[in-house]
Amino acid sequence: MCARRPALPWGVPAFIVTSCRLPSVAGVTDQLAVRIEGLTKRYGSLTAVDGIDIAVAEGEVYGVLGPNGAGKTTVLRMLFGLIRPDAGVLEVFGRSWEQNGTDTLAGVAGFIESPKFYPYLTGRKNLQLLAGLDGGAARERIDEVLDVVDLTGRDRDKVGGYSFGMRQRLGVAASLLRDPRLLVLDEPANGLDPAGIRDMRALVHRLADSGLTVLLSSHDMAEVEEICDNVTIMKTGSVVYHGTISALRAQAPPQAHLLRTTDDAAAARLAAGAEGLSVATAEGQLAVRGTQDAIDAYVRTLALAGIAPRSLTLGEAPLEALFFMLTEASPDSPPHGTRTDQEALS
Amino acid sequence: MTTARALPTTPAGPGHAGPSPARPAGVGTAYRWEITKLAALVRTRAALAAALVLPPLVVLVLNGQTPPVDTLYGRYVHDSGYAVPLLLLGFATQFVYPLLTSLVAGDIFASEDHFGTWKTVLTRSVSRSQVFWAKTLAASTFAVVLLGVLATSSIVSSLLLVGHQPLTGLTGQTIAPGRALGLVAAAWATDLPPLIGFTALAILLSVVSRNPAVGVVGPVVIGFVMSLVGSVGGIGLLRPALLTTPLESWHGLFTDPSFHGVIWQGVAVSAVWTAVCLFLAYSSLRRRDITGG
Repeated sequence: MCARRPALPWGVPAFIVTSCRLPSVAGVTDQLAVRIEGLTKRYGSLTAVDGIDIAVAEGEVYGVLGPNGAGKTTVLRMLFGLIRPDAGVLEVFGRSWEQNGTDTLAGVAGFIESPKFYPYLTGRKNLQLLAGLDGGAARERIDEVLDVVDLTGRDRDKVGGYSFGMRQRLGVAASLLRDPRLLVLDEPANGLDPAGIRDMRALVHRLADSGLTVLLSSHDMAEVEEICDNVTIMKTGSVVYHGTISALRAQAPPQAHLLRTTDDAAAARLAAGAEGLSVATAEGQLAVRGTQDAIDAYVRTLALAGIAPRSLTLGEAPLEALFFMLTEASPDSPPHGTRTDQEALS
Repeated sequence: MTTARALPTTPAGPGHAGPSPARPAGVGTAYRWEITKLAALVRTRAALAAALVLPPLVVLVLNGQTPPVDTLYGRYVHDSGYAVPLLLLGFATQFVYPLLTSLVAGDIFASEDHFGTWKTVLTRSVSRSQVFWAKTLAASTFAVVLLGVLATSSIVSSLLLVGHQPLTGLTGQTIAPGRALGLVAAAWATDLPPLIGFTALAILLSVVSRNPAVGVVGPVVIGFVMSLVGSVGGIGLLRPALLTTPLESWHGLFTDPSFHGVIWQGVAVSAVWTAVCLFLAYSSLRRRDITGG
């Protein structure tokens, strides 16, 4: 049973998932890889993470999305035991830091922000050292993981000479050494060039397809949309959306067409009576939303009225627009500040 | 990146039991890992090379000059090969020990902050406690090796270049070469406890400041201040508690009769400094949030 939220600003009824069981995703089991309830972290008067709940099922590809400063990385740092929560429950495969110490991370690998290595050692030496810290058995897999991330041939170069993208890939290799069941990636495509982003996403896709549970943090809606099954959207330490990508997509506004004409004011007036069309003025141009047929008809009407279109371009992607609405509007706006309910995580 | 490559052995998919929990690395593994890192650092090798090469150079220079009569054993450097290592020992205690040991100990924790690698290490199967003790052992190992190299190089080079004549004691007695060798070696050994104390101090500064420069320079400055304070009169109660005081405890070995009480007092003082510094460093590392990098 889902709780109905107030309508979103563009008039689409919103089902922000506050109290409904998450829809099942193919290949996902009932066992939780990550269970977070009421997790809170404060730095003095600043609440970096404010009582959030997240549940990641095994086999799932889960996205934590939010702008910089939303608290995504803080959550992941708490997951890895790098910082201690002030309140709440955090379990990984049913284990917690309080009860299991470093065993909490058994079967877990990943990196926080950009992966860091010892620059005065070679890539291979770094991996050997990290494999040693994992008990040594992973040393046999170094060649294998280097091949996966395509660093074979550069593995005997010092990391200090690696490009940013190569370090990101070495970070993935270091994670794979642990043969993880849960891979946690924090902004894996951050700082990469377009080709690097494409390759990183392809790699994450392949890892996810192999059955790995992936917890991905990102500020890029397109990245999360492409890779993830479920998503939690955070804003200033709180969850503002929690649900499936498909449900989020259903709530997204229709994509706007951005229109400039010889007479925008007259064009806006003409749109007032058009069926299935909404026009708003935005940043010196008209944002036109409606079905393709309605927009086609509107353009013809403009021409008949002697108003010449000077440009008609596609606006931001619907999910992107929804993301900005969720994370940039004031806290009083309806969808903001909503929390994932405990029930959704059970 | 080629995206068509085969994945490594990966989990079989949802519901599979997954790999067994990683075997804990333990302090031993983490210690070997620290030693490997230290061995790869140019700074470490340079410090050891300096400890090996500088004493013979100093002996060579002293051999061709007027003896520095105003320093302890300075007047005897041409008379006995056992006097030169003691002169060097006195010099080393002033600045060299704190500097050389803090080159590693002052950097060993802070460098993880500098490189942002705490998160790399602590997201593996190793705890903060294990990393702390591994790093502490590695820094102490370096201090011991450094002292050993410095002592060996000083004694061997001066015996080769000056000779193994009898040594004049601090109370004017003559010490036979065989016994002098043992006493000189013992004198260098008495510096080990305060050296470990300085190592612990450097570790504390390294952990707390998270800044390699503070970790390296701090002990040198503190050592210098302690030396100054120790040379001022009217601080009878404070002087034995200074970490620099045990560095002079070897003097009692070269008197007749010899006195060892100050040596054991120095060991106790060094142990207290070591314990307090390590406790504070350990507490700080255990408590702190790893937010950098």
